[in-house]
Amino acid sequence: MKNGIFVSTLMFVLLMTTVIPGEAGTKPIRLAYLQSDIHQLACWVALDKGFFTQEGVEVEVAGIFKAGPEEMSAFAAGALDMGYVGEAPSTTAVANGVARVTVLAQVNTEGSAIVVPEDAHPQGLQDLKGRRVAVPGHSTVQDFLLRKAFKRFGVDPGEVRVIVLKPPEMIGALRTKQIYAFIAWEPYPAKAQTLSVGKVLLTSRQIWEDHPCCVLVAENGFLQARPQEARAVVRAHVRATDFINRHRESAVKIGVKYTGMDEETVRLAMDNVNYTYRLSVEGEREYVNFLAQLKYIKTDDVGAFVKRFIDQDMLKEILR
Amino acid sequence: MRWERYILPLSILLVWQGLSSLGAIPGHLVPSPYKIILGFKDLVTIGMPPGHLLHDHIRYSLYRVAAGFGIAALTGIPLGLLMGWSSRLRGMVGPLIELLRPIPPLAWIPIAILWFGIGIKSAAFIIFLGAFFPVLLNTISGVVSINPLFLEAAKTLNASEKDIFLKVLLPGSIPSIFVGMRIGVGIGWMTLVAAEFTGVKAGYGLGYMIMTARDIQRPDEILAGMFVIGVIGLLINWGLRICESRIIRWR
Amino acid sequence: MSGISKSYGGERGGERVPVLKDIRYRIDHGKFVSLIGPSGCGKTTLLRIIAGLEKASSGRLFLEGREIAYGKDLIGLVFQEYALFPWRTALQNIEMGLEIMGVPRRQRLGAAIEYVRGFGLSGFENRYPHELSGGMQQRVAIARTLIMKPRLVLMDEPFGSLDSQTRNEMQEFILQVWQQRGDTIIFVTHNVDEAVFLSDRIVVLSRRPATISRSFEIDCPRPRDRTSLECNAFRRAVLEELRKERKIGG
Repeated sequence: MKNGIFVSTLMFVLLMTTVIPGEAGTKPIRLAYLQSDIHQLACWVALDKGFFTQEGVEVEVAGIFKAGPEEMSAFAAGALDMGYVGEAPSTTAVANGVARVTVLAQVNTEGSAIVVPEDAHPQGLQDLKGRRVAVPGHSTVQDFLLRKAFKRFGVDPGEVRVIVLKPPEMIGALRTKQIYAFIAWEPYPAKAQTLSVGKVLLTSRQIWEDHPCCVLVAENGFLQARPQEARAVVRAHVRATDFINRHRESAVKIGVKYTGMDEETVRLAMDNVNYTYRLSVEGEREYVNFLAQLKYIKTDDVGAFVKRFIDQDMLKEILR
Repeated sequence: MRWERYILPLSILLVWQGLSSLGAIPGHLVPSPYKIILGFKDLVTIGMPPGHLLHDHIRYSLYRVAAGFGIAALTGIPLGLLMGWSSRLRGMVGPLIELLRPIPPLAWIPIAILWFGIGIKSAAFIIFLGAFFPVLLNTISGVVSINPLFLEAAKTLNASEKDIFLKVLLPGSIPSIFVGMRIGVGIGWMTLVAAEFTGVKAGYGLGYMIMTARDIQRPDEILAGMFVIGVIGLLINWGLRICESRIIRWR
Repeated sequence: MSGISKSYGGERGGERVPVLKDIRYRIDHGKFVSLIGPSGCGKTTLLRIIAGLEKASSGRLFLEGREIAYGKDLIGLVFQEYALFPWRTALQNIEMGLEIMGVPRRQRLGAAIEYVRGFGLSGFENRYPHELSGGMQQRVAIARTLIMKPRLVLMDEPFGSLDSQTRNEMQEFILQVWQQRGDTIIFVTHNVDEAVFLSDRIVVLSRRPATISRSFEIDCPRPRDRTSLECNAFRRAVLEELRKERKIGG
């Protein structure tokens, strides 16, 4: 008698646990973005204005990262479903087989800068020779841009001491002369300027015009299991990007909220960023080739890799 | 039997490699031992970040640990001897030591960077903090636990306080001092690698190497690097033990 | 050295445990005196007070008419546990006292080597204590003390940790050394045979709080035969005294 009750209770509980959470869409989407990275303003706009909810999905912020590589580690560990991240770190992670994500939409192009001390009189990039320059991490977009700049302006990378610092630490290190220059995403270059600690030596536009920077990615397993939700997120992203381009001032206010920096800095930062969702396959090819040259990744078929990595169809459908 | 100590690690490696080859272990999270060996080869030949070779990373890390540990020994041993000798000094300085000791060296990193910048000085400071307390406490213990019989024997030979300190307390506490040094350098080594995670001016160091391997998503190199760190820690300890047995021939 | 008199009375210990009570005695220069008594009666305490390692609660000690100046006068003490410094070789242990005194190296070594030879330690002088047998270690300890030419030699059950054969050898050894040098020796033991074999006088201490209950003059001529009738007679007398002490204590 007792046994019978026990068994049926157990079965009931098991039944409930399998039935109830099994429905797709009841688990919120785990989304990530980079800390104080003004490129990813669309994410904040969508969150702030409830675009995700309006598109019918529930999103939770599952991680705010100091730099792209850290976010990719979280993807590798299966802790994220979708994320706003730099194209370079995501390419590296996928090419090295560590994470499995697909790019669904562009987030921005340009929007970084090399910053030198306020009182410096640089003749050009040659000034960095023999000096210490900070990047947010190896195989970040900024690291990539810096080396591209070396190539373009004929500076031997061996003569520059590149070190890794997290962007919040860069301004302090510049001020105390621990480093001569840094390259970071906006709004850090803007902040250095408004604090009168540094000035811009080169913007990323000057290094590589209209270069793709941040992208919106989805984890492949999630993408396969819940494609409609992924689509909803991309739709919200498109709306948010349009919003930024049409309602600049409101976007500034949201930027202030999520970076904690003042309006002047945010405005200056946003001027350096190009918010768009249009994908650039050419740009990605460039990334792959360059990263392979740097020996960060090894690929055999660049074309096939890019095709797998970027999903252009979803965006095309949404924009139609 | 000497070979018995290799059975366990070897079997683990074999099982691991087997499971990896069969695909039972996800390769992107846990590389197979073979991949790790290849990763080690890359660390030596290509370097991480590319161009920064393993032996240079090792050199910088050793240099930092030597600096931090050297200062810890030079301050900890004399202070320990004095504190062991004078209970009054122990009473005065002891509470401060006990207050500072539980603070993990890594918690000092932000302050260290603020005070010393991102160069070797802040790394040496962090390592100093890790190594100092074991050295100090073991030295004190060495002095305090000297068999009082030896002190009495010295007194019956009309030894002055100074004689007792130099000829009895000092030689008598050397074994404990060595224990303190071995523990201290071990902690210093562990702390170093973590300290190098955050900002390294020179661009070299084993901790920095591992962080870069993480950034460039090379878990095989991460694990190979960890192995190198473990082996070096082992060698340092072994080296100290050899020094110890050379110096202490009276047991 | 004309004589030592100890007039001394003591209450000691935090709990006011009386250990020694009004010890008065006089020892003549060059004599070999044994202190014997029931276990725990305080003979070691008395010795340590004489050595200067502990303070008497009351009473004074005189050496040749003056009070002992610890730190200047050297009162040698040989421990039961040898107390050799383990980080020093036999030779270095022996010369320790001279080193403390500031004697220059050459002289120190010369003197120490003489003792090494004289005490049968040749070939072992560079060994560390843990490499030496018990008997050898004690010989080193004795050498370490005697090389200082102490005013007084105290020995606290020095052969207590040795096996009986080594013990007998050491007794003969110490007699030999004493007869050559003429030191004044106060020898603590609980072994009556040993005391009878070695001493000019045996002082029996009572139970705690210890006083001197009786003192025996052993006028057996030397060299002594352990098994002789005379020795036996003395042994019996001392044992009897000790038995009395135990009975009194109940």
